[in-house]
Amino acid sequence: MAVLTSGKRAELWKEFMSEISRDREVLGALTKQQLRAAVDAIDDWLHSNAAALNSAIPQPARGALTTAQKARLLVFVVKKRFLEGA
Amino acid sequence: MASGDTLLIFHPYHNEPPSSSPATPDLRNQIPVLDFDAGADEAAIFSGVMPRNYAGGGITIYIHYLATSATSGNAIWQTELERNHEAGDDLDSDSFATGNKCSADAVDGTSGKVCVVSIAHTSGAQMDSLAAGEAFRLRLKRLGSSDANDTVSGDLELMKIEIKET
Repeated sequence: MAVLTSGKRAELWKEFMSEISRDREVLGALTKQQLRAAVDAIDDWLHSNAAALNSAIPQPARGALTTAQKARLLVFVVKKRFLEGA
Repeated sequence: MASGDTLLIFHPYHNEPPSSSPATPDLRNQIPVLDFDAGADEAAIFSGVMPRNYAGGGITIYIHYLATSATSGNAIWQTELERNHEAGDDLDSDSFATGNKCSADAVDGTSGKVCVVSIAHTSGAQMDSLAAGEAFRLRLKRLGSSDANDTVSGDLELMKIEIKET
């Protein structure tokens, strides 16, 4: 799968800023352009490491799960690791 | 009235939302505000009648606002006027004059503290030739996507607008 298009990255960036504003969270001394750079970098990293992540999933899960299901599972793990209680 | 006198004040509840990209009503500690997204050019529109005691010297528009959560970055606001005078433009479509932008305005280091920025419009074309006693609309925009100098990474909240004779 290719990296997200610039348009999709922009959508994601705007949604994130809206959510941060709704939660009244402070992003430190970060401009929105710097935040966008972080979005781009994370998407680039996921693109570069997608194969490695897939390889890390043991069989039979690796073969049985669809790409979308693996992505959802990744979201669940990330949320549990980093967001719960944060 | 003379130079330096307040002509009009607008409150968030006076907003007549545009059909696209409107700023959204919100409360900040129960204070009514209008939220302008960081990643879009959202707008609010206010209508009024220029007071009879406006002396024709141009106006300065003061925008009182807060950053929702950001404690750094610069905001870019733009104001545009549309004269709605007798037998004037057909109001079935917008005819705002070219807008004026503020200089990049740094938000306060505490997000709950009010920031105030001003934008001047000289008499004539910059005010769509608006005169005393005539109806008008004022469109306020945050240039969140079209101006790279707007760097605040979150919503801006409009509290009040003051129009003063320059």
